[in-house]
Amino acid sequence: MSFKSAVITFPGSNCDRDALTYLRDLTQGEVLNIWHEESSLPKVDLVILPGGFSFGDYLRSGAMASKSNIIHDVIDHANNGRYLLGICNGFQILTEIGLLKGALIQNESIKFLGKDCHIKKKFDNKFNCNIKDNEVLQIPVAHNEGNFYCDQETLSYLQDEGLIAFEYCRGEYQIDDANINGSLDNIAGITNKNKNILGMMPHPERAYQDFHASKDGKKIIESILS
Amino acid sequence: MNDELILQHGLTLDEFQVIKDYLKRDLTIEELGIFSAMWNEHCCYKTSKKWLKKLPTNNEIVIQGPGENAGIIDVKDNDGIAFKIESHNHPSYIEPFNGSATGVGGILRDIFTMGARPIATLDSIRFGEISSDKTKYLLNGVVHGIGHYGNCIGIPNIGGECEFDKTYDFNNLVNAMAIGHVKNDSIFYSKPKTIGGLIVYIGSKTGKDGIHGASMASDVFSEDDEDEKRPSVQVGDPFMEKLLMEGCLELMSSGLIESMQDMGAAGITSSSVEMASKGNVGVHINLDKVPLRQPLTPYEILLSESQERMLAVIDKDNNEKIREILKKWQIDYEVIGEITNTKRVVFSSNEKIVVDLPVNIIVDDAPEYDREFSLPKKRKKRNFDTSKLDIEKMISNYMNNLNYLDKSWVYNQYDSTVMGDTIKEPGQSAGIVKIHNTEKAIGATTDCNPLYIRINPEKGMIYTVLEAYRNLVASNIKPMAITNNLNFASPLDPNIMGEIVLSISGLSDIAKKLDTPIVSGNVSLYNQTNDRPINPTPVIGMVGCNSNWKNLLQNKFILENDELILLGKSLGTDFSPYFLQDQKITNSICDFNELLAPEINLEIKTAKFIQEAAEKNLIQSSNDISRGGIFMSLIKMTQKNLGFSIEINEEKDIFCEYSAGYILAINPKNKEEVFSMLNQNQINYLSIGHVKLNTFEINSKKFEYSDMLEKYNNNFKKIIN
Amino acid sequence: MRIKILIRLKNQILEPQGKVIEQSLKSLGFEDFSNIRQGKLIEIDLPDSLNEEERSLKIDTACKKLLVNEIIEEYEVLG
Repeated sequence: MSFKSAVITFPGSNCDRDALTYLRDLTQGEVLNIWHEESSLPKVDLVILPGGFSFGDYLRSGAMASKSNIIHDVIDHANNGRYLLGICNGFQILTEIGLLKGALIQNESIKFLGKDCHIKKKFDNKFNCNIKDNEVLQIPVAHNEGNFYCDQETLSYLQDEGLIAFEYCRGEYQIDDANINGSLDNIAGITNKNKNILGMMPHPERAYQDFHASKDGKKIIESILS
Repeated sequence: MNDELILQHGLTLDEFQVIKDYLKRDLTIEELGIFSAMWNEHCCYKTSKKWLKKLPTNNEIVIQGPGENAGIIDVKDNDGIAFKIESHNHPSYIEPFNGSATGVGGILRDIFTMGARPIATLDSIRFGEISSDKTKYLLNGVVHGIGHYGNCIGIPNIGGECEFDKTYDFNNLVNAMAIGHVKNDSIFYSKPKTIGGLIVYIGSKTGKDGIHGASMASDVFSEDDEDEKRPSVQVGDPFMEKLLMEGCLELMSSGLIESMQDMGAAGITSSSVEMASKGNVGVHINLDKVPLRQPLTPYEILLSESQERMLAVIDKDNNEKIREILKKWQIDYEVIGEITNTKRVVFSSNEKIVVDLPVNIIVDDAPEYDREFSLPKKRKKRNFDTSKLDIEKMISNYMNNLNYLDKSWVYNQYDSTVMGDTIKEPGQSAGIVKIHNTEKAIGATTDCNPLYIRINPEKGMIYTVLEAYRNLVASNIKPMAITNNLNFASPLDPNIMGEIVLSISGLSDIAKKLDTPIVSGNVSLYNQTNDRPINPTPVIGMVGCNSNWKNLLQNKFILENDELILLGKSLGTDFSPYFLQDQKITNSICDFNELLAPEINLEIKTAKFIQEAAEKNLIQSSNDISRGGIFMSLIKMTQKNLGFSIEINEEKDIFCEYSAGYILAINPKNKEEVFSMLNQNQINYLSIGHVKLNTFEINSKKFEYSDMLEKYNNNFKKIIN
Repeated sequence: MRIKILIRLKNQILEPQGKVIEQSLKSLGFEDFSNIRQGKLIEIDLPDSLNEEERSLKIDTACKKLLVNEIIEEYEVLG
């Protein structure tokens, strides 16, 4: 049975084409592009909320996108146990919707950060099961608000339930800090309790082609398809 | 209309008289505003036009040369690359964040107005001495502004330059370059085709932004000016531009638009006048129909430089379909006028005609000056005493100079990989992106050597273009064409005018020899404060292509024990201006020797060799040699734990500039074949050492590898704080 | 009626801009300025015809629904 997926585009999304290309290259099934104003989402196996500056990041990153028409069906899709992946702005949107805990606030450096970073798996889930323990992945980040925050109670919850999917770490020849943006506990990505929703700040769709600096981003899709 | 009003509008009294004599009547205040905008340097090139005409602008790969919003070159299979560089110098000095942000916005509009989707940007930024708080403020503001705009709209920044020199203390420079991809059979021009076509306004509502921006661009600052000029700076909204870009590209690909022009400098005035001029038609626009943010007079509407606005000409049958598409993208849209056959530019407001001018007096008959210029004096040959310099000193001088240090503090504030097609990010010899859904790689670089050009504008310009050329060749990108941003001080000074004339002459000469025509560009004059002119800074943006990204060359060391080959001719200490300046031997402009003749034939020959050797997979990686010599070239090639060990007799040559200079890293098994090819082509070479793990060794002197890299990577941040 | 809503990051959350502003002010001689935090102000026109209770309800609902992220922010209606 072929794997169907969809990418939602909001006004200001700018990694939607990247996500569509990523899915078309790595999955065999149909890949749909859904405009945020659509009121219904066809049945698919995976939905990606892509990166970018939806609604200009105005008010708060992801705040207005989280109120779009299509979100109702996105929530249903997730509640039915199907895969939902929020990348960068997508992760911000998922926390604004409340499907993921915590919030993404301004980078500690107060500057936009656009560079390669290194992450490793913390707890297992269907998005990272093909990645070995302690395997370091190199994937680009590009964000102003990538600093993950939650209160102590939520942090304990995420740790106890094994919901931290990825954490920032040092690359082999790296001299500066592992934590690139001030994120609590070096958190780079988390899932919901059911582990079918993943939000991550790094961009796997920019690290999978032969000409990319790294192909580690492939492993996310490979894990889902495995 | 008194003299003071005319001068305030940036026109000379003579220029005003020419207009009045032609029209045989007085001008309205709105008409005065139009000439103020269209007849200043930025819009009509009155000083430079005579000389720019000498540039080579055409060959078989040029689809569109200068004269449109951007130049376009053919990269085969119906793929075209549109590109241009533009300055936003004066606005970024006044308000660095918005000034530079809107510079990026403006250049991107120039690209997509032609139906090309922007695929990359580069920025060339120059500041004064870092010790000044003002410089720190400008640096932070400019980088923040460029990042803010480019990141939000989602176009990757793939390269650029960042220079610090006291010549820019009171006149920082911001040149923004953009590259776009278009299908050659779907290019849009600004020329309207149909009489009776509707003129439509697309984009943000009009406000008071930038009123008199085009005149501000041509004014020389006096030190007290800053606060007075502040309200003039335009504020950009990159989110709005993202919507505008998507909306316009969708309209153009649906065939609903006849022609398109963006509203940049001098807003609605310049875009409508240029449309009329190109199409040899007239325009009649009702200013009452222009969507406004706040109440504005007709004069203000005409001169407003509110951002993110486009003007288009459409067939009236398409009106409703266009409105639908733009509604989806939340973009304002109004029909504001029509194309007429009168060849006149007519604006009305409140049922009165406020402007009625023949097009040609504004455009074709705009003034063109032949300003007096003087040639640089001959230089006496000097010998310089460099005996006090040892390797440690020479390294230390460079490692404490911002111009030589790793600039990731700057480019990590930019998104370099959005759109998923970036092959080479900033920090390499050239920025490279792949054209989506093809195997083609497009490479670009921006370069300028102001010190060389100050010494000898003609030769210095040739050196600058050759450096850009080498930057592309080092990655195995075939250089194809040039866009140029001529940043100079006041042309009313014959010495400065001489710099302008001679550097254009040098550009023309080298562009012909390399067969890299100039397809677009920009002129920014009057970059000076009180009596301090900037050094001549004509920035070159060079673009090229490799039909298959797999044939590109890496610029970083790949394998331990790769042999390092040096190509090129050292200029030697007496003739390397940056060496002499930055090793603190001299900083007086009068002291420098005449530049050595550029080795154009050697450069072309060497480029050809590199391309052939790359085709045969004989080169592991390569880098070009420029400012900072062999030393800087090698340090830029280090990555991870791959360092180097080299031996060179002439120690100082390691830090001098070179002609046709490259470092090649070769797998030892390919050595014989590479040497044989070099010999056949009569290209001199020197085997200087090899790639070595965790090593930084020069002439048997060992430096601590991680310590050296720590300085190179972190000193920039330390010095600017 | 012009409504002014002040939105701030909750106290326990690091507010990096405030810290930098404080440093800059100190270097300009404002030695005794401390504990600086930056927030945002949203201004809205509401019809005069609404009574205080209706106005309050609308504002609170708008804040909860969109204007304020209660995980990290708190708000205050000014004036």
